[in-house]
Amino acid sequence: MPYHEFEVSKCIPERKKHAVVKGPGETLTEALPAGYLNTIPGSVSERGCAYCGAKHVIGQPMKDVIHLSHGPVGCTYDTWQTKRYLSDNDNFQLKYTFASDMKEKHVVFGAEKMLKQNILEAFKAFPDIKRMSIYQTCASALIGDDINAVAQEVMEEMPEVDIFVCNSPGFRGPSQSGGHHTICIAWMKDKVGTVEPEITSDYVINYVGEYNIQGDQEVMQDFFKRMGIQILSTFTGNGSYDDLRGMHRAHLNVLECARSSEYLCNELRVKYGIPRLDIDGFGFGPLSDSLRTVGLFFGIEERAEEIIAEETARWKPELDWYRERLMGKKVCLWPGGSKLWHWAKVIQEEMGVKVVSVYTKFGHQGDMEKGIARADEDTLAIDDPNELETLEAMYKLKPDVIFTGKRPGEYAKKIRVPYLNAHGYHNGPYKGYEGWVRFARDIYNAIYSPVHQLALVDISKDEIATDKSFTTRRMLSDARLPEGVRNAPGLRQYTGKFDVMPGLRNKTKADYPYMQDKPTKLADAA
Amino acid sequence: MACEVKGRERVGVINPIFTCQPAGAQFMSIGIKDCIGIVHGGQGCVMFVRLIFSQHFKESFELASSSVHEEGAVFGAVKRVEEGIDVMLMRYPHVKVIPIITTCSTEVIGDDVDGLVNKLNEGLLKEKYPGREVHLVPIHAPSFVGSMISGYDSAVKDVVAYFAEKGEPTGKLNVFTGWVNPGDVTALKHLLAEMEIEANVLFEIESFDSPLMPEGQHVSHGETTVEDLKETGRAAASIALNRYEGGKAAKFLEKTFNIPATIGPTPIGIRNTDTFLQTLKTITGKPIPASLVKERGIAIDALTDLTHMFFAEKKVAIYGNPDLVIALAQFCIDLEMKPMLLLLGDDNSSYATDPRILELQANVDWDMEIVTNADFWEMEDRIKNKGLELDLILGHSKGRFTAIDNKIPMVRVGFPTYDRAGMFRHPVVGYAGAIWLAEQMANALFTDMEYKGEREWSLNVW
Amino acid sequence: MDENTKSDYAKQMLTYIMKHCLWQFHSRTWDRERQNREILTKTTELLCGLEETAVPEDRLDRCYWVDAVLLARNYRRLFPWLGELDNLEITELMQLVRERLDFQTITGSLNVELTDHQY
Repeated sequence: MPYHEFEVSKCIPERKKHAVVKGPGETLTEALPAGYLNTIPGSVSERGCAYCGAKHVIGQPMKDVIHLSHGPVGCTYDTWQTKRYLSDNDNFQLKYTFASDMKEKHVVFGAEKMLKQNILEAFKAFPDIKRMSIYQTCASALIGDDINAVAQEVMEEMPEVDIFVCNSPGFRGPSQSGGHHTICIAWMKDKVGTVEPEITSDYVINYVGEYNIQGDQEVMQDFFKRMGIQILSTFTGNGSYDDLRGMHRAHLNVLECARSSEYLCNELRVKYGIPRLDIDGFGFGPLSDSLRTVGLFFGIEERAEEIIAEETARWKPELDWYRERLMGKKVCLWPGGSKLWHWAKVIQEEMGVKVVSVYTKFGHQGDMEKGIARADEDTLAIDDPNELETLEAMYKLKPDVIFTGKRPGEYAKKIRVPYLNAHGYHNGPYKGYEGWVRFARDIYNAIYSPVHQLALVDISKDEIATDKSFTTRRMLSDARLPEGVRNAPGLRQYTGKFDVMPGLRNKTKADYPYMQDKPTKLADAA
Repeated sequence: MACEVKGRERVGVINPIFTCQPAGAQFMSIGIKDCIGIVHGGQGCVMFVRLIFSQHFKESFELASSSVHEEGAVFGAVKRVEEGIDVMLMRYPHVKVIPIITTCSTEVIGDDVDGLVNKLNEGLLKEKYPGREVHLVPIHAPSFVGSMISGYDSAVKDVVAYFAEKGEPTGKLNVFTGWVNPGDVTALKHLLAEMEIEANVLFEIESFDSPLMPEGQHVSHGETTVEDLKETGRAAASIALNRYEGGKAAKFLEKTFNIPATIGPTPIGIRNTDTFLQTLKTITGKPIPASLVKERGIAIDALTDLTHMFFAEKKVAIYGNPDLVIALAQFCIDLEMKPMLLLLGDDNSSYATDPRILELQANVDWDMEIVTNADFWEMEDRIKNKGLELDLILGHSKGRFTAIDNKIPMVRVGFPTYDRAGMFRHPVVGYAGAIWLAEQMANALFTDMEYKGEREWSLNVW
Repeated sequence: MDENTKSDYAKQMLTYIMKHCLWQFHSRTWDRERQNREILTKTTELLCGLEETAVPEDRLDRCYWVDAVLLARNYRRLFPWLGELDNLEITELMQLVRERLDFQTITGSLNVELTDHQY
């Protein structure tokens, strides 16, 4: 029986079905944790709420929008600046957030009138922004305010603005995931198809489930532009509201984070016949295959091959330098939803790092299917993990590094396990070829940190080595490498810049010879 | 010239200065040893608060959720708290105190947590955990009232009201520190020790700065014990340094236990620290020792190097916790600076009649604005659109983009200060705090001078 | 090709799909049925000699086709024994792969969301 029982959860036996260890030769039909069930109260779970999933994760990356939460200030404050998604309009959505500031009197008497005033005030303060998303919270949901009606009223009075309403209060569903679903369906229902977009290429995609963490979207956008592909809209990283209203005109939906937005791709397929192509933007191999499939779809595969060749030549010697030094190191891959399967296999294949455990905070069984399928035998897979269980797992598995959130990273640190931020990265972006090397470098710097070595010494008990005044990372990482590998010609450490973004953003039309300038006629779907 | 007090005129908030009440209640609960609070509401109410604490302290703190989901919101979710408490007691054998912190959702649906506590005390605790010391403390913290400040103030009072016991007087002084940092507690304890005053410091949060040890697991938590909390009822006197963060508890003890309460001062700056020591002397009869004269002298020496040369006329905006903001303004004025704008981030009606605000209004001889119920837009709008010029901003990290985009140097103070390293380790109170603050402000101004090429050569020979 | 060899070859091919592909993991049974059927059918055709230049016009069709092209190429690269099989053997082999894939991802799957009627 592959179910894994934690010592610390023996008293809550319902937890047993939430963790499995993948046995030798076992397939998904024998081993799959339960998923997306109600959280056990008091378990100190990692989960957040549906408001977070809707507003913080998916809504707020939209860059040319006023994001207004209808409720007391806390929800707004908590989701302000707490993600590293950029936008190329000087991060407007990161810098400005809006709360209707519900108070007790509104709970008693209703807040629709106050909400309308809020909307008008916000548009007045930022007269260049004509789009708004309003998010329901627990409070406004419970008092039954009809946000849609208020939004409709304002849109009639101010025809130059458009407002999207997302009714995803925190309690809607067991975790963030409920919010993803709500906002995807609402966007599909209310906004897709309400704008006819300008088509500037024969090759038109929506890039779905990409949130521009540290610039990921802009890295991928660069590849697509180098192929001459028009990204009609990105859902939602560095994305524009009106572009996303025109999603129905794309030829293809390229999907990264299926967990958060496969709902939208499925609906677009059913209603508009737009095919859904799932890709992996992480890792040289998966990324290359992904660019190939997109290229193949449009009959421009040779353009993808150009990029793959150029990028691989530039960055593989650096990836391999780290790979030699990371071989056999162990990681607990503990993200929120999708990265457990985006990274599970390719981390081992391309960086040599063995994944000993995967978990998902808010994922569904589908995420576990993908993750466990890609993971090795003996991998411990946990659904809806809680703090005591993860501590027990870390003590047992003794990982060399852990990829997880900022806060759980703090208590991993306390038991001497270095951490990298799986949600917002350390020194990213991590997508793309250079990004993957940046990731490898971060892992290397974490594992071979001399301070980390010093942390393991108990000066009251252990022998203190007094022969060294310092240690370099290479002294630690290269100690057991054979001479030929240690100084392998052609391999080198990362040579990129501290900040990748200016290099991408300063590119001009000349860098994208395949991008067409003039609007073309939309080739109708066959 | 006028020092005006005005409330935010807009209905809505653009860039909030505070988060809501449950965060304050949770900050109180992490200061208690063997205590894990359970937040009764959506999971976000606890997940995000744990995140902001971890950003500020670079540590993780234990807090649980009752995980209210949809059917709970419709049919009532008291059962979730019951289940949650049982789960916590099973899995955390050391836990003695469980604050049950309500949120807007559970207040709106009207869950009766007080009734639940009675039920559990009679039922679950007696049946399943006989003989185990467990304290369930209901704390009401709806987010549509007040802010994290009032949430903290109420929670401190609630927990003191729950535990305080009459009995043999201890002769100790209850010190309600307010929402401070570990560095502040160290500085306060130092001053109390120099005065040879035995104090019950609430809360003992020096241990938030916990070590990375070669063995074992050392999650951060506070050190205030159940005994400490019980003892508050037997103290000789109470002092609440921050009127709005701890004042309620001190007043409660005065009313119910006849323990004389002194409210204030917030000991930021030389003058307020002097007053603090004078107040301690008055309350306890202990003299102010020569050692503190010397310490004060070191601080005055450090400040004198800075004030008339660099700080005079510097225009500063200050935002954050109300007592912190007011005390910083007072200190800045003593340093010859000109606070131009104070932002108090919630709608507490007491601000307008706060004697410290009235004192500012009576004596300040330049145009100064104090905005209550403020948000960050009040500051940014003035800078961008109304010609407000500032040389310095004092406040917490959420305001960073206003400083960055307008190229105004900013010293991080208050909560949270996550975008600078180690701020929580340093005091802003006492003479040590006066030195730290002044030198932080000076160095921020100096760096700015260098980046802008404004008189940067003058520092060659300072 | 005897039964044992066929089973072993099918295992290798299925393992490749499970380790590297995402197209078999849509969220509902009807989507998975369609994905498996279309992509593996096209992969079979390609392995049996259909030219990569025969690009489907219909874009939904083309989307299955691109995943099939990559799969066929990777199979050829990784499994030299494919070159020694005739088209009938390849078809039978791929049929076995399809059966097993359908079992793992649909009929034998423990994912309870697969049968939910709504997206």
